[in-house]
Amino acid sequence: MYAYDTYDRAIINARVDEFRDQVNRRIKGELSEEEFRPMRLQNGLYLQLHAYMLRVAVPYGTLSGEQMNRLAHIARRYDKGYGHFTTRQNIQYNWPKLVETPDILAELAEVEMHAVQTSGNCIRNVTTDHFAGAARDEIADPRPIAELIRQWSTFHPEFAFLPRKFKIAITGAPNDRAAVKWHDIGLILKKDGAGKIGFEVIVGGGMGRTPVIGKTIRDFIPETDLISYLEAILRVYNEQGRRDNKYKARIKILVEALGADVFADLVEQEWQNTKNNPIDVPQAEIDRIYTFFTPPPLEVLEDVVAVVDEKAASDFVFASWVANNTHAHKVPGHVSLTISLKPHDGIAGDATAQQMDVVADLARDYSHNEVRVSHEQNLILPHVAKHQLLEIYQKLELAGLATANAGLLTDMIVCPGLDYCALANARSIPIGQAIAKRFDDMKRLQDIGPLKLKMSGCINSCGHHHAGHIGILGVDRRGVENYQILLGGSGEEDASKAQLLGPGFDADEIVDAVETVVAVYLGERREAETFLSAVRRLGVAPFKEALYGAA
Amino acid sequence: MIIANRLDTGRVVFLGADNQWHTQADKAITATDETVLEDLWAKAQADLDANIIIDAQLIAAEKNDHVAMPSHIKHIIQAQGPTVRTDLGYQVSPDWEG
Ligand code: SF4
Repeated sequence: MYAYDTYDRAIINARVDEFRDQVNRRIKGELSEEEFRPMRLQNGLYLQLHAYMLRVAVPYGTLSGEQMNRLAHIARRYDKGYGHFTTRQNIQYNWPKLVETPDILAELAEVEMHAVQTSGNCIRNVTTDHFAGAARDEIADPRPIAELIRQWSTFHPEFAFLPRKFKIAITGAPNDRAAVKWHDIGLILKKDGAGKIGFEVIVGGGMGRTPVIGKTIRDFIPETDLISYLEAILRVYNEQGRRDNKYKARIKILVEALGADVFADLVEQEWQNTKNNPIDVPQAEIDRIYTFFTPPPLEVLEDVVAVVDEKAASDFVFASWVANNTHAHKVPGHVSLTISLKPHDGIAGDATAQQMDVVADLARDYSHNEVRVSHEQNLILPHVAKHQLLEIYQKLELAGLATANAGLLTDMIVCPGLDYCALANARSIPIGQAIAKRFDDMKRLQDIGPLKLKMSGCINSCGHHHAGHIGILGVDRRGVENYQILLGGSGEEDASKAQLLGPGFDADEIVDAVETVVAVYLGERREAETFLSAVRRLGVAPFKEALYGAA
Repeated sequence: MIIANRLDTGRVVFLGADNQWHTQADKAITATDETVLEDLWAKAQADLDANIIIDAQLIAAEKNDHVAMPSHIKHIIQAQGPTVRTDLGYQVSPDWEG
């Protein structure tokens, strides 16, 4: 893992001191709320429905056991004993006091964490594949370059006040688990003929009220030129992006308005300036960053493990857990393990302080002290020896963390919605809970197979409903919570926009509606056909008909 | 009624008849008369200016058995806490100060 150098430490500590001073001045009345608001937002502190909310960055979703322990400690000491992991691979605390926030930030800084780049119109915290550095299908670990982007973008003065927020995601594997085509910039790691690392560059993706899938503007940019190329994209956007209308200010609107080709030409022109300036990092520095991401020393082990297979043969739920919650690792005999934060009786993405501590212990004992946060709101132990799976399962079970549903219908993305979020139109969490309850049977879930359900409590789309195989969008219909269903979205390499089926459903109807949609799939599917493939083959018509009757 | 958050803790509060900010919605003063509403808002504005509260809003309310509650689901949730963590919301600790 990356370790802070003296510069990193100095700027984060200075930031804590600065924010402490700002909070003091605000409490004393020397700063008005209007003056203070952008300052607190730049430190991840929002005001939500019940209290302040602090969003802590987990850059590219990577944490150590000690960092996870610290997150648990903060939940316990400054909050109500839990936190919420988000689709940005971050964690949110729902109840911090303004006056204690500087202490929280100081405690985070001690373990090389912070809350910068989690709000405001800057380059946000870069996200990546939660199996990065471990996945068998990976070309190379994208995290060294994610770290390089973090260093370049943190407090970048030119890009501190962009027209709108700006999100970069990066994948090192052809199977995209980072939804790169749905980001302002998406980067797909590739190797050229000589084996050199570079990136396909995709721009102008985004969700919100105008969902757009990003477009490729360059097939390959060598990693040594990446920063100057990104700088050129940001500069074109910063100059030409709209500032007159918040809803038209994202880069996707600019790219759509100009056309991807014209936008690409402008970037090429600007790149002639940026690449001749000393922005790009020398190879030696890139190499230095790479050293922090040296893979852990894993022994090649047997892929077939008798103790796991025997238990699986007699325990359907354990067998499902092994099948669903493990992912192929580069090193034989190992897996990356998904710890589902979607218990059927809980809240998607929430973890208690005690659970965080359990995960931290497991990371130390079984995963070379590494934890990942996934954009699907789960936690990952990236480097687990297969023969230890049963042991880990038993420990997770005791902590309520052994739900076997990774990748299945109840592994939903669910945004905080109207239970917490000041922007929400409708509650998401109780709908998620009702769906989880309805589909509680593991055999049935397993039979339905891979299905990504994603739910947002408003059009801001934090719950990625546009990219859901089934998407649910909460709306306000004359003061009453109402839920629309969308179908056929994907956040992966085959990215697609989900299509709205029709008028929404009330809270007490939406679970039945989901069940109806699933029933159409089960009735129509061909052998081994997944839900998404069936929707693509059939189109939305049969689903619409089942929900609304024949037209 | 007028709803706001305390500046220092973020705690949801309601303006009461005693001109104080209360953590319970049933202590909120409600009014329909324009001039009374103006007076209430003047008090809220004074406390915004005095940096006691932030984000004050005049919201619709209803009375059931003489007990005031906000009308809209959003403000009911603000008054009571998240509907999904009733073990942690204001329902269990109405005096919780943040
Ligand atoms: S999608 Fe809307 S309701 Fe959900 S967290 Fe985002 S802003 Fe809030």
